[in-house]
Amino acid sequence: MTTQQAGSSTINWKKWIWLFTFYAVLGVFAFIWLVPIVWAISMSFTPNTVLARQIGGLLPTAFTFENYETLMRVSSVPRWFLNSMIVSVGTTLGVLVISSMAGYSLSRINFRGKTFITVFILAGLMVPEQAVFIPLHIMFSEWGMHNTHVALMLPRMAIPLGTFIMMQFFRAIPMDIEEAASIDGANRLTVYLRIMLPLTIPALTTLGIFTFVLSWNDFLWPLVSATRSDMFTITIGLASLQGNFAQSEGLGSLMTSAVVASAPMLLLFLFFQRYIVQAVKTGTRF
Amino acid sequence: MVQPLDKPLPSATTDRQRLSGRIRQFIYHHRDTLNGYGFLLPFLIIYLTFLIFPLLRGVWISLHDWDLLIGNLGWTGLDNYTRMFTRDNTFWLSTRNTVQFVALSTIPLVSLGLLIAVALNRPLPLMGLFRTIFFSSYVLSISVVTLIWFMLLNPNRGILAAAFQLVGLEPIAWLNNVDLAMPAIVVTSVWWTMGFNVVLFLAGLQDIPRAIYEAAEIDGASAFRRFFSITLPMLKRTVVLVFILQIIASFQIFGQVFLMTRGGPAGSTRVLVQHIYERGFRGFELGYGSAMSMFLFSIMLAISLIQLYVGSRGDQIESGMK
Amino acid sequence: MKYHSKLVSLMLVMVMAFGGFAIQAQEEGVTLNLSRFFGVCDDEYGGFTDIEAASGECGIVTTLINNFNATNDAGITVVVQGTEWGAYYDQLNATFAGGNAPDIAVMHRTRLIDYTSRNLVIPVGEAFEMAGIDVTDFPQPALDAVSVDGEVFGLPFDLHTLLWHVNADIMAEAGLVDEDGTPIMPGSPEELLEHAAMVQEATGMDYIAMDATQFPLGVRAVFAMIWQQGGDLLNEDRTAADINNEVGLNALNTMNSLFEGGFANATYDYASSQEAFINGETAILINGTWVVDFYTEQAEDESATLTNYVVSDFPTLFDQPATWSDTHMWAVTNAVQDDPAKLEAAMTFLSFINDNNIHWARTGHVAVRNSVLESEEYQSLPRRDEYVGTADIAFAFPQVLRYQTMEDILAEEFQAVWLTGKSPEDALASAESRINDILVVR
Repeated sequence: MTTQQAGSSTINWKKWIWLFTFYAVLGVFAFIWLVPIVWAISMSFTPNTVLARQIGGLLPTAFTFENYETLMRVSSVPRWFLNSMIVSVGTTLGVLVISSMAGYSLSRINFRGKTFITVFILAGLMVPEQAVFIPLHIMFSEWGMHNTHVALMLPRMAIPLGTFIMMQFFRAIPMDIEEAASIDGANRLTVYLRIMLPLTIPALTTLGIFTFVLSWNDFLWPLVSATRSDMFTITIGLASLQGNFAQSEGLGSLMTSAVVASAPMLLLFLFFQRYIVQAVKTGTRF
Repeated sequence: MVQPLDKPLPSATTDRQRLSGRIRQFIYHHRDTLNGYGFLLPFLIIYLTFLIFPLLRGVWISLHDWDLLIGNLGWTGLDNYTRMFTRDNTFWLSTRNTVQFVALSTIPLVSLGLLIAVALNRPLPLMGLFRTIFFSSYVLSISVVTLIWFMLLNPNRGILAAAFQLVGLEPIAWLNNVDLAMPAIVVTSVWWTMGFNVVLFLAGLQDIPRAIYEAAEIDGASAFRRFFSITLPMLKRTVVLVFILQIIASFQIFGQVFLMTRGGPAGSTRVLVQHIYERGFRGFELGYGSAMSMFLFSIMLAISLIQLYVGSRGDQIESGMK
Repeated sequence: MKYHSKLVSLMLVMVMAFGGFAIQAQEEGVTLNLSRFFGVCDDEYGGFTDIEAASGECGIVTTLINNFNATNDAGITVVVQGTEWGAYYDQLNATFAGGNAPDIAVMHRTRLIDYTSRNLVIPVGEAFEMAGIDVTDFPQPALDAVSVDGEVFGLPFDLHTLLWHVNADIMAEAGLVDEDGTPIMPGSPEELLEHAAMVQEATGMDYIAMDATQFPLGVRAVFAMIWQQGGDLLNEDRTAADINNEVGLNALNTMNSLFEGGFANATYDYASSQEAFINGETAILINGTWVVDFYTEQAEDESATLTNYVVSDFPTLFDQPATWSDTHMWAVTNAVQDDPAKLEAAMTFLSFINDNNIHWARTGHVAVRNSVLESEEYQSLPRRDEYVGTADIAFAFPQVLRYQTMEDILAEEFQAVWLTGKSPEDALASAESRINDILVVR
């Protein structure tokens, strides 16, 4: 990829030295960045008994699969994992459907009150979760709906960020594509489903990834809503394991839970990462 | 879902036909309005029920003595607010700590993010890999991050302590030291969320035409010079945006301190959201907690409005950062 | 790992055997939802039913419940909503608020009034009588622990107190043992510092360690010193704090002198203080009754530095003996109120727990039944004779609404003294005013 310009050898020399320094500095920094993750993985493969006496290194001093085996067999981690999956997938699908519909409406259809509603919805971007979690808690209490997956999904779906992002994407699509379809007599729903939606797949992918990550990592709301251990999400479940007492004994197991909890996020991210910068770019619209 | 009717309905009588004709006419004339609201409806219902209504109800609750376990115990007017501002030392302390966290975390999160984004925004091999590395910590959940860092920083068992001992230094009890606990929380937060800022900056950087840099390079401008004369001015809007988003996100800090220090040592890391949580869910006082939530909300609203004022076009995204 | 792989595979077989049983039972009988702390240890004890072989708080309580599920004739299934310590009460509160309250909840005596005052926990005196749980078998302090205004609200599980766990080897090296090798405990604040200096001089080790930063054990040791001088943290009618005085200052200064003199590490949390003790880096560890069995095991383990482990009552440094204590108890919630079948099932379960009080005491906790306390089996438990006096000197935080908030305030202020150098006078004054502020709120 490097475009090497023909030049005198001194310039080339300088360039190589510069490149070497650049990569060295970046490499060291990236290595430091990875230390916590590598260390956690290493400890997850180290027996608990070894870790109770001495701290793990970046490579396991004694190697075992036992932590993983035990985790899968008897701990609540698989259950929490499943809860997180249900909640995150549900939230993501919900956000994708309602946000793309709302975004389509606000960007492609002219109707009375649209400006007001757009401003009204965008204003919601300024409302933090912390401002509403107490009333939400009371509402779900009144409905007897705490400790359900739905209770963990709905408040996340109300955040207008998705609508905003989808609005931006729809705006970027040339009008004539849709007009051509309308002339052919197709109604709005058909236009939306058949023509517009396929064009926004990159946007939906990005929105989907971010919604999934944020939902998976949600902390404050599940902390107060999912209070039964069989309804914990993996984030809350792991937090509940971090008592003073657990850290002194099952450190290896604890790190195993952390690795298992993070693996789907990391894989998802590795798989879809090329969309992320592109999408943030479209979402910010400078 | 509202759909325009394209085919006439089969009907038996002319009266009916006329009526359906009128309906069709109405629908046709207002098809955009019907479509517009029809598409909006699902989101709007959820938005109103789970964001706007709770916000208003939060104001209402904050004017009551509201017990977590037995509910509304009566109207108290502004009592919760006067208590918060005049009597609750912990409220001021946690506000101060929150502001301290915002002040300490924003600059490194923004500047380090920018620095790395600028470094990575080059047509060189492996840049994608580095981007992946710096972003990877962002996808970890808070309890994983705190678990790892709590151990990492542990003066007796942490890997950092081991590194200190290796070079002959006394390990430091970061999280138990009043002066170092907050900085340690800041470092943890930087590690956790900086990747997102890198991506935001990269998105902004990609809009700067490469030709400008190439021209500057031919003119012999140094990298330093290119950064200050080209990158920064052209990236000004992104920088401001990231800065504001970061301040808003940092004000919401909770999980890091809740899981790593529980507000200690000696209250030096107790933050506002934690105080709200503790008063509301530990002290049973939801009304009072709600009042403090409203205070936090108004701070963040003020910052958002400043952003709207600064950003000329008013375009914004919310990072959704934790 | 306390168990070898053979045992693990044995457990697996049992999991399968009793797993099938549990499913069958669920079909016909009552299900009781139970909230408890004590940790989650399903990886070691999931499905394990041999009570005798279990150890540690988590292991024993898990095994007790497994055993009950496997053996009760009434077809009752107890489903545990176990959480770790950190957010237990926050989450218990949230279940009450959300209408998902468990049928039975484990709690501390100090929390009880928060729930009885809201009618969330129901009185069980009559039900106990019908179920044959004899409240007269509870020693008076245990009965007081589970009572509010003379009414019984639950089953006491234990009395747990603060003890001094001693590494007798280090004490011997410093010359702090008598002829039979029993460690000598200090009898005054001055003597405390003398001993500390002797240990430091002779061994270079810390004299004493405790969790001084997280879990408020150091703070509770200060409470004990306040009680030793006749103070009681709150005034008699519990309407105001009563610590900003000579008594409070003496206690706080005594504790702080250990940190200031360099005889104790103020930055230890629970895990580090425990590790320091097991690794033989401190002569004494202030910790509860709940670790006696664990440290005994560690002392027998050849790879641990700690070998000569001895337990001591919290020494009397002032006028009268006193130590901090609390009680774990089983409360029945209002979820059971209108369901006679559930109430009966709950009583069957609590009777079972009460019958097995001896096993819970194996952790090191003090039993709460006279018949158990007097039994030979109890008295022959390891090290029991070393701290037999602890029950008689046990004091508890006064029964008051929002105990947690008050202890949090005290912990924060006291820790500020040894961590930030805040003056004890300032800390006591500000703790007192902050507690008074909480006490005036309804």
